[in-house]
Amino acid sequence: MNETQDSLPELNDLPTADIQTRHFPISIVWIVPIVAIIVGTWLVYKTVSEKGPTITIAFESAEGLEAGKTKIRFKDVDLGQVSAIDLSDDLAQVIVTADLVKSAEEFISANTRFWVVRARVAATGVSGLGTLFSGVYIALDPGEKGNPLRDFIGLSEPPIVTTDQRGSHFLLKASDRGSLEIGSPVYYRKIQVGQVVAHRLTEDGESVDIEVFIDAPYDQYVYENSRFWESSGFDITLDTEGVRLDTESLVSLAIGSVVFGLPPKTDPTRPAAKQTVFQLYKNMEEATRKTYEQKDSWLLHFHESVRGLMPGSPVEFYGIQIGQVTEIWLEAGEKKKEYRASVVIELEPDRAMQKKKRLAKPEERQQRIQHLIEKGLRARIDTGNLVTGQKLISLDFYPDAPPATLNQEGLYPEMPTTPSPMVNIGNKMSRIIARIEGMPLEQIVDDLKDAIQGAKEITRSPETMAAIHNLNASLAESRSLIADLRTQVSPEIEKTLRQAQLSLKAAEDILQSNSQLPVALKEALDEISSSAKSVRLLMDYLEQHPEAFLQGKGQEQ
Amino acid sequence: MTCPRCGSRVHSRKPNSIQRTWALVLAALVLYIPANVLPITTVISLGHIQSDTIISGVIYFILTGMWPIALIIFVASIFVPLLKLCILVFLLISVQCKSTWRPKDRARLYRITEIVGRWSMVDIFVVTILVALVNLGSLATIHAGPAAFYFSAVVVITMFAAMGFDPRLIWDVEVSEHE
Repeated sequence: MNETQDSLPELNDLPTADIQTRHFPISIVWIVPIVAIIVGTWLVYKTVSEKGPTITIAFESAEGLEAGKTKIRFKDVDLGQVSAIDLSDDLAQVIVTADLVKSAEEFISANTRFWVVRARVAATGVSGLGTLFSGVYIALDPGEKGNPLRDFIGLSEPPIVTTDQRGSHFLLKASDRGSLEIGSPVYYRKIQVGQVVAHRLTEDGESVDIEVFIDAPYDQYVYENSRFWESSGFDITLDTEGVRLDTESLVSLAIGSVVFGLPPKTDPTRPAAKQTVFQLYKNMEEATRKTYEQKDSWLLHFHESVRGLMPGSPVEFYGIQIGQVTEIWLEAGEKKKEYRASVVIELEPDRAMQKKKRLAKPEERQQRIQHLIEKGLRARIDTGNLVTGQKLISLDFYPDAPPATLNQEGLYPEMPTTPSPMVNIGNKMSRIIARIEGMPLEQIVDDLKDAIQGAKEITRSPETMAAIHNLNASLAESRSLIADLRTQVSPEIEKTLRQAQLSLKAAEDILQSNSQLPVALKEALDEISSSAKSVRLLMDYLEQHPEAFLQGKGQEQ
Repeated sequence: MTCPRCGSRVHSRKPNSIQRTWALVLAALVLYIPANVLPITTVISLGHIQSDTIISGVIYFILTGMWPIALIIFVASIFVPLLKLCILVFLLISVQCKSTWRPKDRARLYRITEIVGRWSMVDIFVVTILVALVNLGSLATIHAGPAAFYFSAVVVITMFAAMGFDPRLIWDVEVSEHE
């Protein structure tokens, strides 16, 4: 180095470099890591601050769920993501761990429900088709605010009603579930307005509670006096009026449906409050039937078969239904071996009577019917439907019926009955049959048998045989006689006959010829007849005047 | 020192080389975390959203049996940046400790770092091309994730860090010892 400096002496007088000490010992490049750290810290802060609650949801199966991919959504907004899927300790369930966003913390409570949204095809419809492409996701329904909870049990089926749906829940009491399913539609005037949300057995096991949800604008049509009834979609009724078919919709064919409405001729009262309990009727008839306030039970006794009559069979008066049969039982009569069918009918005068003429008190109504009974009102079993054999009770007037009075002794007042026309015919028939049965048929048959036996004996006796032999012999004799006659007598007869034929021919010739003989003969005959007349005259004369024999005819008086 | 001709300052060594490199290496290390934790691509295919980080992409390719691609991505995007950072840290520490340990090999390591550094951008290029190509509306769309930004920052900063390092410092100790 020194050598170089020496060889270039001219450069020595150059100004020496001015060596400056650093004013800023820290390089400006340090800004870069500081920025990086700030960014990193910000990222960490953001992640931590946005991290919401971590929850676990127990599902029956993890079908379609993927850790790190499956989202948790509410109204199609991502609220979180599944982070892990594990089996429960007893291997019965799948525990899904999910990280939710911060904002979800507020509404996740004990009332929150989770379910997996998959493509579903059910009788009620098809849903979740989008998940076929995008994969399944977990949906949540926040529910009402409640205690915070972090461990949930997922629903196996999507809930019918979510919290954001406006409407009202109603409770229906029924004797059984019928054909209703969760999701069965509820109809009002054939428009679907809601769904069956739940059904459960009551605690005593005696009935079934069915919960329905009516969507918001329609729930105002549920009045306090509304009636709910079940419609199984396909309702065949076989009764005295024939076959009837009622259908609600194709869906209800599969899963049944609930229909509600007001009974006919009733005005709506106030709209029903939420959670009101209603009775669920089996069908529309039952639902509307119960509207008659006035009900009088009457007892009928029949001494004939009540086959075809059942509780619910109509009671008609002049062909108009005014009630129905409620009970039927068999009852031993006062005499032994005599049974009678007891039928209780329920008369609902409102069915047929005008409102003005109705009688408020049951005693008054009973009195009126007593009056009618005196005029000949009788109950009778009538055939309602010949095909199905359904029977009904018909009330009518029979002025010729034996007089009867109202019997008040039984459980209900008793109305007199009259046998049905079929029974009358039957009675006559049975009388005829009884008479036939009364004849000594066996004796007659025995006599006949004896007579035939006697005849047989006679024919088989030796005398008869001898007689027959004799008869045979005489027949043979007569046969030979006839043969003789044929051989000997017949030529003679033939000759005679021929002779006669000739004579007749001659006579005919004579008669037919135009000779004088017939004229002469006629004259002669005329002559004979006139002489005969004169002889008769003479004889008459002589009868009256026998003395003419002696005195002669000349002396006329 | 100032240039006698132009008057600009000249330095016998890169000024503040070690300090600068340290700063950039630290910055790269910090950014390396979000680059690997955050998703680098978001694929929206038929409504199905899938976000992938670099490592999940590698795992995906391994699982689907595409070993070569997995290897390339792994080497270019995870191994190389990390290796670079490690080498730089090693060099910085060794220089600061005035180590005399195999200066030739250390100089070679530095050169490798400088050459290989730019290849880490492969991943960013792939993402850029994918985002541009796969844009089929609702059928399939790929978005670049936030990690792409951090990752490219890591690559660029490590490149600057490598450039900022003065390899002559490796030999300075040797020279002073020889004298």
